[in-house]
Amino acid sequence: MKFLIAIGSKEFSEPTLELGMRVARAFKASVTIVYVGEKISAFSTSEVLMAQENLENWELDRQGVDVLEWAYNYLVENDYISSSSEKEGFIGDKLVQTDDDRCEVFLEGKHTQEVGLILRNGDIIQQLRDEVKRGEFDVTIIGASKKRRMIHDLIQFIDSSIFVVKNYDRNKQYKMLLAVNDAPNTKKAVKYGVRVAQAFDLEINALTISNTIEFRGNYKKASAWADTFLRRAGVKHSINLEYGKFIETINLIAGDDHIIIMGSSTRSPLTKFFTGSKPLNVCEKCNCPALIVK
Amino acid sequence: MLGLSNQALSNLLYWVTRKRWLIFTFIISLFLFYVPSSETLSPEGHRTLIIVVIAIILIIGEVIPLPAVAILILILEVILGIDTPNGVANSFMSDAVFFIMGSLMLAVAIVSQGLDKRLALGIIKMTGNKTWRIVFGFVSISAILSSFIGEHTVAAMMLPVALTLIRNTSTDQKVVHRLATLLLFSIAYGCAMGSIGTPSGGGRNVIMIGYFSKFGLGNISYLDWIKYAYPMLLLEIPIAVLILWMTFKPNQTILDSAVRKLKVNVTKAGKMTGNQVMAILIFVAVFLGWVFLSPYLGLGIIALIGVFLYLSFGLIEWKDINRNTNWGVIILFGAAISLGIQMKETGAAEWVANQSISIMSMLVDDIGFMRWFISVFLTGLLTNILSNAATVAVLGPVVLDMGGNPIILGLATSIASAFAYLTIVASPTCMIIHSSGLVKSSDYLKAGWKLFIMSVVLLFIISNFYWPYLS
Repeated sequence: MKFLIAIGSKEFSEPTLELGMRVARAFKASVTIVYVGEKISAFSTSEVLMAQENLENWELDRQGVDVLEWAYNYLVENDYISSSSEKEGFIGDKLVQTDDDRCEVFLEGKHTQEVGLILRNGDIIQQLRDEVKRGEFDVTIIGASKKRRMIHDLIQFIDSSIFVVKNYDRNKQYKMLLAVNDAPNTKKAVKYGVRVAQAFDLEINALTISNTIEFRGNYKKASAWADTFLRRAGVKHSINLEYGKFIETINLIAGDDHIIIMGSSTRSPLTKFFTGSKPLNVCEKCNCPALIVK
Repeated sequence: MLGLSNQALSNLLYWVTRKRWLIFTFIISLFLFYVPSSETLSPEGHRTLIIVVIAIILIIGEVIPLPAVAILILILEVILGIDTPNGVANSFMSDAVFFIMGSLMLAVAIVSQGLDKRLALGIIKMTGNKTWRIVFGFVSISAILSSFIGEHTVAAMMLPVALTLIRNTSTDQKVVHRLATLLLFSIAYGCAMGSIGTPSGGGRNVIMIGYFSKFGLGNISYLDWIKYAYPMLLLEIPIAVLILWMTFKPNQTILDSAVRKLKVNVTKAGKMTGNQVMAILIFVAVFLGWVFLSPYLGLGIIALIGVFLYLSFGLIEWKDINRNTNWGVIILFGAAISLGIQMKETGAAEWVANQSISIMSMLVDDIGFMRWFISVFLTGLLTNILSNAATVAVLGPVVLDMGGNPIILGLATSIASAFAYLTIVASPTCMIIHSSGLVKSSDYLKAGWKLFIMSVVLLFIISNFYWPYLS
């Protein structure tokens, strides 16, 4: 599996990097950490590139390299990269310019297959979408953004599962909330949930929410399937069927001490674009990390 | 939906959200096309103005690559019947385009010589370790050098000097934020101010000189330009230092240790190499060529001679020039100049000028002042969101058709296009300092608006009380 972790700054991205790396380790996935810097005006692309290349003669790093260096140090301190990569150390000039707005360096991982560090410039959605397409990533991990449109566009346009790391506190004991219904991606979400729960030794709450008192047959079937699957996987879990409005109920139950995992919406892209979706609401309104499985 | 798969629909939605400005442009242009043209405006002029609107929206929105905007301008000029294919091709290539191409290539050649360490040594020898003196040195050197070489070349060379001083002072960004802002803006604004000094300071100056000549308003030589513009540059320097100092007064008034470390760093570079001497000699030759030979050879051809010499002497490789030259911008400026010429030829420029004057006459009695103010203010604003050369290429013909003294209005417009102080996208120098990650977009407005007003006032004084004596 391939995970892409998007970081923004040293100050705010540590929880994203920490949880992202822990989840990636659980999946034994190869990880790429990407920093997307601000867009450079097309009038100035060559000029800025020339100025940045000139900085290298002075052993000065371009913007963003310090953030990648910080991520590298985090990987070293937490034993995520192999000793050979560690000995070489991270130097900005190891970054290989692959495009005008993209450079990369790859390190040998210890618990994960490979760790890549990528520096990009431009519109964040466009850059992440391009990177996901280029690297065929399965999961994109990103910190919560205050911009509503950003989460909306991530969920709508990025062709991978999305893990939004919101209010993550390493000292908190988390439980897992699996949102189960009859959507096709639920099965994949349950499988992801099992892997994460096993790695973190979490208890799973498999929750099915109906907006009518009478549960649809398919909902009951999905819940029963999840129960069987979780039992077979040997994961400690509970099955819950709740009645109420989806977002209010899940928000109430999740609080700030759950990691929510749910499948992506099956509504048409046009409907999702204009009216939103349950996963989008979860990412926006819940106060805890949420993984939307596509 | 419409027989499309979810994936295809998602891709389509993505395209629509990213290209909404393109769609908006298409709708606006269709609307304008079917709006009845004014009786005083020829059909060709009407269509030329539609292309201007399309170009401005697409350039500001950056929804399609700049070369695509340029190509679209050329295509539309032919398809809409404004000119013949050969006519469009003729208006596309000019000495101004040669100059822009040559100066961008010269920039790559000069920056790659490693002369910035010599420059750093020169600056700190002159200024010592007091912060205000260093700021004064940064603004002055950036302004004077960029008046000859071109602003982004100087910015690329000065940036590492400033960053080394900042890093040597402290690696904690909070501690050095004001110092970093002060030094970086000293470079950016110094370069912007300097670019007015000579025709070679910026492509837009050469574009305006080209318009003067093309529209039969006379020839302005390299030295003539200096006589008009350099006094303003020299007056701006101390005022800009004062404004920058008052706005971003740093905590560190002396940079003793940082300067010492910088000296150690740059002295490691050793003596000047033969290549560096040769590079300087070639540039001096180019400069002398601009001063004495440009009436015969043109500024662009002389710049290209410089590039030829750099390449022939092996001071730069073609692949480096090819990689670091913004070809898209060259093509775009060529197309913008072509559009400017079509505005003149079709009467669109005159029509816009007349409309502006009739609106002005309803507001103020003193048309002369309003004519000047609108040219300068509109140019100053457009340059902050568009590009200075594109602004001059499009507004130049309008300004020259406004009446009054076209030389004064044209020069004022060209100089006002250097007032790119307000936004990150205003000029490559603003973008270069922003790429350091040490200045925020809000910082541009903090000192920018003061410099903008100061520059407008100074330009008013110079153009009304000094230039008339030169004409």
